[in-house]
Amino acid sequence: MPTDTPLAPGNRRAWTNGVLAALTGIFALMAGLFLANLWGRPSRPANPLVDEAFLDTAPWRQSYADLARAKEDLSDFDCYACHEKNEPPPIRYDADLNIIIPEEHETIKMGHGSHQRNNHCFNCHNESNLLVLHTRDGRELSFAESSVLCGSCHGPTYGDWEAGAHGRISGYWDRSRGPAHRLDCVNCHNPHAPRIPSRTPAPPPSPLRGPRTDPSREPTH
Amino acid sequence: MATPPPVPSDKTSDRALSRRSFLRSTAALSGLTALAASLSPLRELDDFTSTEQFLQKYYKELTPEEMTRVLARIEKEVERQYGIRPHVRDLRPMDGVEFVYCLNLTRCIGCRKCVHACVAENNLSRDPEIQYIRVLKLPHGSLDVEKAEHKYTADQVPEKGFFYLPVQCQQCRNPACVKVCPVHATWQESDGITVIDYDWCIGCRYCEAACPYWARRFNFAKPGLPAERINPDMSYLGNRPRKLGVMEKCHFCIQRTRAGRYPACLEVCPVGARKFGNILDPNSEVSYILREKRVFIQLKEEMGTSPRFFYYFDK
Amino acid sequence: MIAATRNYLRFLWRCGRIAFVGDWRYYAWMGVLTIVSLVGLHAYSRQLVDGLVVTGMGDEVSWGVYIANFTFLVGVAAAAVMMVIPVYIYDNEELHDLVIFGELLAVAAIIMCLAFVTVDLGRPDRFWHLIPVIGQFNFPASMLSWDVLVLNGYLLLNVHICGYLLYCRYHDRKPARWFYIPFVFIAIFWAVSIHTVTAFLYVGLGGRPFWNSAIVGPRFLASAFTAGPALIILALQVIRHVTHYRITDKALLTLRSIVQVSMLINVFLLINEVFKEFYSGNHHVASAKYLFIGLHGHHALVPWIWTAIGLNVTAMVLLCLPLSRSLKWLNLTCVMAILGIWIEKGMGLVVPGFIPTPLGEVIEYTPSLNETLVCFGIWAFGLLCYTIFLRMAVPILQGRLAKANEGRPEIQGDEQEIPAAFPSKPDRIPTPTAH
Repeated sequence: MPTDTPLAPGNRRAWTNGVLAALTGIFALMAGLFLANLWGRPSRPANPLVDEAFLDTAPWRQSYADLARAKEDLSDFDCYACHEKNEPPPIRYDADLNIIIPEEHETIKMGHGSHQRNNHCFNCHNESNLLVLHTRDGRELSFAESSVLCGSCHGPTYGDWEAGAHGRISGYWDRSRGPAHRLDCVNCHNPHAPRIPSRTPAPPPSPLRGPRTDPSREPTH
Repeated sequence: MATPPPVPSDKTSDRALSRRSFLRSTAALSGLTALAASLSPLRELDDFTSTEQFLQKYYKELTPEEMTRVLARIEKEVERQYGIRPHVRDLRPMDGVEFVYCLNLTRCIGCRKCVHACVAENNLSRDPEIQYIRVLKLPHGSLDVEKAEHKYTADQVPEKGFFYLPVQCQQCRNPACVKVCPVHATWQESDGITVIDYDWCIGCRYCEAACPYWARRFNFAKPGLPAERINPDMSYLGNRPRKLGVMEKCHFCIQRTRAGRYPACLEVCPVGARKFGNILDPNSEVSYILREKRVFIQLKEEMGTSPRFFYYFDK
Repeated sequence: MIAATRNYLRFLWRCGRIAFVGDWRYYAWMGVLTIVSLVGLHAYSRQLVDGLVVTGMGDEVSWGVYIANFTFLVGVAAAAVMMVIPVYIYDNEELHDLVIFGELLAVAAIIMCLAFVTVDLGRPDRFWHLIPVIGQFNFPASMLSWDVLVLNGYLLLNVHICGYLLYCRYHDRKPARWFYIPFVFIAIFWAVSIHTVTAFLYVGLGGRPFWNSAIVGPRFLASAFTAGPALIILALQVIRHVTHYRITDKALLTLRSIVQVSMLINVFLLINEVFKEFYSGNHHVASAKYLFIGLHGHHALVPWIWTAIGLNVTAMVLLCLPLSRSLKWLNLTCVMAILGIWIEKGMGLVVPGFIPTPLGEVIEYTPSLNETLVCFGIWAFGLLCYTIFLRMAVPILQGRLAKANEGRPEIQGDEQEIPAAFPSKPDRIPTPTAH
């Protein structure tokens, strides 16, 4: 085909044969290299499995109703095991008007409402009957009905909760197939300090591409 | 045509010719050997596909009997691969049901429990990692996702001055992904869930490019699923283990929600920020929210995708 | 009927045979291409086993060099019409005999396009889902289904036109006008459509503001009509160099004026795009920012795009100067234009569309070694196809491979060529090059 090559016919043939022989060799070598599997398989460091605690769906507080249903120990709610009947417990404040929690109730941290305004035990507890709660307008409620008490101040939120728009829910959205389990206010909120405490987040994503986040890395803020 | 073609005049020409055609043949043969050898990795293609799967019909064309056989095949495959006998169902949409998801941005604390509950429920690949939900940490006052931090590793959440925006498939009423699929492997069902037939997808990733919410995921490698964390309650269009090279995405936990239950991300949310239900039922939580809440957002509303996923605020 | 079939099969056999014979340079060239193709095939079979994880792509940047090359090559294929138009519409004599080389290039380019799309698929075993009737073809909603139709249609059209013309030439008979002229005109419109549809593939995605711009279609055509004819200018000179085929400088200069005009339009459209993105300063500028100046400290593409702009602008200036009428400068210009457009339209268009992601994350993309080898393999395979097509076409056009010399000793490839020994029609005698 080419005409501008300076090679003589015999030389040209020798070149052709040479190239063909070389190709035979190269192809054979390639076949060997392909079979030798020099590249290996891709490998990436394995992602650790997530701590199962992050998969837990249980509410993190138990209400009086939960305990009663589960027939658990309710002695914490038996106020008159310690308190005297017909004798309202005294409430003391320090110089800054912060309530002084007695040693017997040291597990209670007060933090309801801003500016320490809602710091009076008997805003919710009934001083003449510690076994019940009461609203500001004088309705008496059992511990199992605590959500109604919350609603007596937090009207809009209570409305949302009743409609299912506030608070946790689980089970069946289709009530014809099964029940939905609605949680009470106190399943999530500590009535004495209702703000939901902060928590450690689950591990960040570490997708296929991009810088990988090392789970052991110090948290950054 | 009068002149005959030039015939080489030297006597060795015949031998030269036959030597060359011999060399040509050896080169060709050697080339063919190299061709066959170059395909050697294919020996490791063990469970890429089976005849049964290769010839399987499109989801919407399967008769009930064929579907039974397909489900049995999937159960067998899962059992062989993971040693767990799953229960695979083909749940169909219910009449009079259209699902809507609402997420309360006032409540979300960015704990990412939903992300991992979803991974566990839906048998998502742990290696390489595939997650349907991405939680964005945004500075107060802005919904500009470019300001978002995706990989925050704070010690405690929520952090002051930030809010959290979990994003997953928005189950659009006008989905960009469905339109672009060249083989109808993804479509919107009557209950509003956009599903994928994992056995029909060709893996072109056009839907992934089309989705304005970055909600779709591709199986770049064979999904890595630890057998001890397999969820055996599976459905065809939902959480059955995926194959290499196909798309997947959030399907509102079809295996739960079409059986009347709440999705996994909702049940695990510690603050009750997630709400789900039937928008056609006026008494559902989501109907109440969309009726009563003054501000709610459809992410990237200007795209015209009309998501069924609403973000709202309490205050 | 039987005789016709036998004739046709004999024609195919002789064409096939000649693809395997040649001189040492032919074998060396084909050998190198085969080696690269095989390496690419090996890399691809690894990708089949391990999945697309062996590429640099991820959920963030989910299309990469495969689709970038695909986009570029659709342009090359479409550009074949730039030779067809002058010939069939304006009766340009100089290009007349060269059209077929352009069309063969289009065929090779489409083969490469289809290969690039195939290697990008996660499940190539399910390709049959794409076949109308037996699969589920989402037509007309999906732009990808349009692309499948127009690409395969264009392939068939060009194979038909080239095949028919060559077969007639083989028999030394005049082609029936009705049997190819209508297809030529269809092919002209079809060529525009393949590239427009490919542009619409991107333009139609509302969620990707970088692509969601009406100018992408015109830009695609302008850049295609620059890079395609530029490639043909180079290819024709190679053909002229290694065969006796008569290709005049005038033909090359006709192509030069096409490249010249297209490059001017291409650069003008680029300026339009850049102005719109940066002056308005809205949110959608993020991808363009990433491409041209870098975003949030990520700037992998910045040197590339400025190289491309530099090449394109220099090529444009050179094309406007009389200097590029000399072949040496024209070749340099063509190489610059091809490289510039390959970068600008391939990586410069596909990758920034994905950065940042719709959720604002910036994850950069670099093609992996395996991915690059697959690309080289496909390019080598495409060149292999084009070489084989030319190896068949040139002797047919020269009259050396014809029905008339059936039964004579076949061409061996490295014999001394005496073109005059195979006279064809008087006006088609190739002029032997002096040496």
